Amino acid sequence: MTPAFSEPQVTGTGIGLRQPHYREVFERRPALAFLEVHSENFFLEGGASMHALERARDAYPVSLHGVGLSLGSADRLADEHLAKLKRLVDRVEPALVSEHLCWGAVSGVHFNDLLPLPHTGETLALLAARIDHVQSTLGRRILVENLSSYVAFRDDDMSETAFLAELARRTGCGLLLDLNNLYVNAVNFGFDPIERLAELDGNAIGEIHLAGHAVVDDCLVDTHGSVVCDPVWGLYAHACERFGPKPTLIEWDTDLPALDVLLSQAAQASEIAQREVARA
Amino acid sequence: MPDTLLNLQCDFATALRDRDRTAALAPWLAGDAAHAERRVAIYRANMVAAADKALSAAYPVIRQVVGPEFFHGLAREYQRATPSTSGDLHEFGAAFDTFLARFEHVQDMPWLPDVARLEWAAHRAYGAADAPGWDPASLATVDPDAQPAIRFQWTPGLAVVTSTRPIVRIWTLHQPGYAGDFSVAWELAETALVARDGFVVTVAACTLGEAAFVAASQAGHPLGDAAEAALQQDPHFDLGALLGRALRDRLVCGFTL
Repeated sequence: MTPAFSEPQVTGTGIGLRQPHYREVFERRPALAFLEVHSENFFLEGGASMHALERARDAYPVSLHGVGLSLGSADRLADEHLAKLKRLVDRVEPALVSEHLCWGAVSGVHFNDLLPLPHTGETLALLAARIDHVQSTLGRRILVENLSSYVAFRDDDMSETAFLAELARRTGCGLLLDLNNLYVNAVNFGFDPIERLAELDGNAIGEIHLAGHAVVDDCLVDTHGSVVCDPVWGLYAHACERFGPKPTLIEWDTDLPALDVLLSQAAQASEIAQREVARA
Repeated sequence: MPDTLLNLQCDFATALRDRDRTAALAPWLAGDAAHAERRVAIYRANMVAAADKALSAAYPVIRQVVGPEFFHGLAREYQRATPSTSGDLHEFGAAFDTFLARFEHVQDMPWLPDVARLEWAAHRAYGAADAPGWDPASLATVDPDAQPAIRFQWTPGLAVVTSTRPIVRIWTLHQPGYAGDFSVAWELAETALVARDGFVVTVAACTLGEAAFVAASQAGHPLGDAAEAALQQDPHFDLGALLGRALRDRLVCGFTL
């Protein structure tokens, strides 16, 4: 089933809005195409956080990025969590809603992390059913994001990108292509990220994420705590040329720098997008 | 449906929660056991970091009191004892007070669990619904004979935290920008009234009588019964003073008869 959900259009570059930047963003109103927030930070009835989100929503299109729904938990989907997300979506009417290709809870224990899934037919069937359920509950299309991963499974019988392409085909969901995650995995598991991009249908991609990572021993770890690295900018240029312009987000969560650092990263992304799209 | 995925996730969970049982996950993973051990350690650190971050947001005073490194250890031990059950981390930490009451390495701070209860109430108040607009003058229209039947609607998030420790003082000393003296009368018993005024969470001391009145009224009892409960708790309970404070501080946001 491929439900046809209409979706407001966003074009251009945005940033993740985090609490230390609220005041400055509202005062300066930087020219950004959208702001993205973590959905779970706004599962509240009222108060200062909700007020800030409403102010953000008044000034910009808002993207809700979920980190806790745990689409791939084998034993159950947390309907109480989905109900909170639905309430927030109905309240904010966001431009974009996204979740991760991950699991995070089993047997009633939640790890509050984005844990990797084996890319198998069994997982695909489960995720397709879950995404159908989420999309029909929310009454809209969601984007599903590729993950940074530190382990790979023996059972994997397709790449993550092939998995996501099939998931989008089966459910009509969109994809949130995180190029830092793709790069992290390419280094951690030794594959060519450009080849993986070729497995995706550009029409399914609804957003691109750019972020920084850390290096821990022999492993790249997705920390969202630094500037976008050169190879990821290179992948972004390639993706713009290949897929055309997509809403693009600078994502930064730990060791949050001055707002201007994020804005300058966003400006760099806009420049690359304009150059590559003009060239394509 | 085959339950390979469920088995994998159960084994992954075991490996995350018990570093001595990482071997449970190894057969599922590409690469050798030593590789699996190193990589699972990254996820384990993430898991503890998530607990630390969530508890730090809910318990900033306790974090200041014990210091960030010790707090990180508390977060790890609390998570082990009381794992998160929700993808919504606002919910995480509800039982921190009972954990602290039992945790042997903080027994030299017997007031810590009550401070935790105060901070949890403040955490809940922060995200409580916005109070509806209400004109206190409408109270004056109630016929004096009908006043004992008034049932107050209290501002969302309002909570009473009783204690035999100086919890309001301890909380106050650890607020950002506090510039007064740091003396604490450790034998003082304080009960806290936690509320939200606009977007600001407020914490103030109240008497046991006032606490009893608010608790009874919040439980749905009419003013007359709540005042009686308060007087039983505290013969000096001053209803007029409490009502004046409730209206001035916008603790009440409506009433029914």
